[in-house]
Amino acid sequence: MKEKFAHWDMLFVQYLKRDWKKIAIWVLGLGLFSAGLVPAFVEIGKGDGTIAMYETLQNPAMISIVGPTPVETASEYTIGAMYAHEMLLFCGLFAMTISILHVIGHTRKEEDLGLTELIRSFQVGRQANSLAVMVETVFINILLAMLISGVMINYRIDGITVGGSVLFGTSIAMAGIVGAGIALVMAQIMPISSSAIGSSLGIMGFLYIIRGVTDISNVKLSMINPLGWFYLTYPFVENRWLPVILASLFSIIMIIIAFALEEGRDMGAGYIPQREGRANAKKSLLSVYGLFIHLNKGVIISWLITFFVLGIAYGAIYGDMQGFLESNELMKRMFAYAGFSIEESFSSTVMVVMAGLVTILPIVIVNKLFSEEKNLYLSQIYGTKVRRRQLYWTSVSLAIITSIIGVFLAAGSLGGTAISVMENSPMNIMDFLLIGFNLLPTILFFTGLAALILGWWPSLGKIVYVYLGYSFFLSYFEGILDLPEWLIKTTPQSWLPKIPMEDFNALIFIIITAISIGLMIFGYIGYKRRDMIERA
Amino acid sequence: MTAILKVEGLKKQFGKVQALRDVTFNVKPGEIVGFIGPNGAGKSTTIRILLGIIKRDGGRAEIFGKDPWKDSFEIHKRISYVPGDVSLWGSLTGGEIIDLFMKLHGSGDKEKRDYLIERFELDPRKNAKGYSKGNRQKVGLIAALSVDSDLYIFDEPTSGLDPLMEQVFQEEVEKIKDANKSMLLSSHILSEVERLADKVVIIRQGEIVETGTLDELRHLTRSTVILETKDDVSKMANINGVHDFVQKDNQGIFFADHEYLNDILVKATKLGTKKLEITPPTLEDLFMRHYEG
Ligand SMILES: Nc1ncnc2c1ncn2[C@@H]1O[C@H](COP(=O)(O)OP(=O)(O)O)[C@@H](O)[C@H]1O
Ligand SMILES: [Mg+2]
Repeated sequence: MKEKFAHWDMLFVQYLKRDWKKIAIWVLGLGLFSAGLVPAFVEIGKGDGTIAMYETLQNPAMISIVGPTPVETASEYTIGAMYAHEMLLFCGLFAMTISILHVIGHTRKEEDLGLTELIRSFQVGRQANSLAVMVETVFINILLAMLISGVMINYRIDGITVGGSVLFGTSIAMAGIVGAGIALVMAQIMPISSSAIGSSLGIMGFLYIIRGVTDISNVKLSMINPLGWFYLTYPFVENRWLPVILASLFSIIMIIIAFALEEGRDMGAGYIPQREGRANAKKSLLSVYGLFIHLNKGVIISWLITFFVLGIAYGAIYGDMQGFLESNELMKRMFAYAGFSIEESFSSTVMVVMAGLVTILPIVIVNKLFSEEKNLYLSQIYGTKVRRRQLYWTSVSLAIITSIIGVFLAAGSLGGTAISVMENSPMNIMDFLLIGFNLLPTILFFTGLAALILGWWPSLGKIVYVYLGYSFFLSYFEGILDLPEWLIKTTPQSWLPKIPMEDFNALIFIIITAISIGLMIFGYIGYKRRDMIERA
Repeated sequence: MTAILKVEGLKKQFGKVQALRDVTFNVKPGEIVGFIGPNGAGKSTTIRILLGIIKRDGGRAEIFGKDPWKDSFEIHKRISYVPGDVSLWGSLTGGEIIDLFMKLHGSGDKEKRDYLIERFELDPRKNAKGYSKGNRQKVGLIAALSVDSDLYIFDEPTSGLDPLMEQVFQEEVEKIKDANKSMLLSSHILSEVERLADKVVIIRQGEIVETGTLDELRHLTRSTVILETKDDVSKMANINGVHDFVQKDNQGIFFADHEYLNDILVKATKLGTKKLEITPPTLEDLFMRHYEG
């Protein structure tokens, strides 16, 4: 028995030495993020802020995203309760993700790279490496718990109790340890490290979605979910330690299983054989369009899901909009316009925010063409019957189509959720879609800019993001900061009327769309004329 | 016969770098042309101009009588190209990428593809992420060779291939040669194209320094000879065509003029040859000669 783990302690010390920089960033970064936002929450909680937040987060849509709270009346919703409610699940998922990457990176990945073989040749036990990495990960998570708890205790704020702080930190650390256990098992089962990482993160995502459902239908069921063993500890409210014990037991069992599995397998091989890829391409891949969809698929899907979820999250606020905005002077200045219902003015601003986010997607797609060019992926394709026209317009049109879908999803899920949570909605779904699609020309404008730059000055592609960030910032804070009119006019968002406070203006809509198309055409002229840049 | 590929006084500048100063050569129908030069000489730049990937600054270029910048679409219908450096998408397998390239090219032969995959011993089901440089090269070559073209342009096609696969490649090129197709084959190693090329074009710092058949070029320089004889090998030192003779024990090393090769061999036989090695000139030798001349 001992032989298998021979010299693990030596490896452990070695790993701490090797990883200390990474550990410092990990513990400080995640620790300060997890504990450091308390002052911001104190700010939000001022006045009736906690009450408004409580009401907002009672919405099923929000519960499925951030989780439930055991607090039953708004008046008992302290800063601590609010903080744990909104932060614990996400910080825990963060801790889990990093631990998963760390464990697989130092076990299976090194094995795939042949480093483990090297180590084993030095009289080190067969399983010493796994044990050392596991102990290291647990150790790092304990440091993390100590930092989080320490920082939180030091706030000395009403509602942030010592017991709660310790539990809050411990819960996040437990999340990391549970993740490490799952990762170690997957590292044994899967054929290569990338699929071990993929499956571990996949399990985490799956458990997250399941708990979103059980949180709404029956919270008790969430307690048989490993995620429940850290985010349902309810720090600062009930301070339950039972889940922590369950999480510890679960992790120990996972580690035992992992060691048993490792014992029975060959180095560099998993239990599931490597999946064979396709020897022939599917028909859907065999065109420039098919290829570009394939290349952008991941980005497109993940952004579209983001828009959709964001729409739901913002939509949920409509349930108690009055309370939410009234409680907070800052929010009110940002979102309210005199003479209109609070829902209407909120919709206008929030859509500008969401349209800003939707804009990222087409820019990414257009810029992708240049990164493919520069990184030599298209070299052989340049020698085929594919014309530059196809490469360019396929990218641009894919960008346009996904923008339209993005706006539809964002506005639609915002509207749909808003209408379902409001008792008598002053707006119908078409109103929401109109507010959204009214902003489409701004998205096209940014897409046009990206296309123009792709055609003429491709290495400057990042500039479009800078301009987008700038416009986003200005239009977001327009209400708070007293900015001169001309400055605001430098943002494309300001060129279009604010629906529903102002009327839809077809002329402006068409003009900006036409300008955007003009930019794309002009970009094409450049793209056709310039040298392809093939320097990695 | 009129050339199907013609360049004349080609120039290209990248910022301050004058990549091509004066590139002139041609490829005739049925001809395999080796395009040789050290790294950075301008081979890829020339080839990219020929494919319309970049635009020439000066000079003329023509393939099938058409301008590669303006009529690249027409030209591409009849050529196959494998770039020197390729990246392959890690989310696709080698087989998928080959199919994609063939489809985008438009005239691929499925059977030929399967045959070539077998010959080059490529695992088409593996993700291209895990491919070595040699395997990436194979993907490009298989796609290009599966397609029926009139002109094949290969940029350093054998870099990264192991000797066995290089052999396979050479055999496939022979077939193209037999089918009377043309090829432009770049390399920074002279011996790689020696067996295949009908003609060699040598480029150095953006200028063509030699053009001709290998034989024509060879007579310009001398082979290295290592000779071991029963009798005293030093007698070789003074005959015509032998240069820079050095002796180690019974072994003599010298350079030989090709015109005198026969005389040298006759003399060597008289001395009782035990061992004879003749190494043809390398690219470096050709350059050395160019400097001297
Ligand atoms: N896109 C580019 N931008 C700037 N310099 C380049 C570019 N492409 C090639 N060069 C330069 O041009 C010269 C010729 O390069 P290249 O044609 O790639 O040589 P070879 O293919 O013969 O190795 C080199 O000095 C190289 O650095
Ligand atoms: Mg090159």
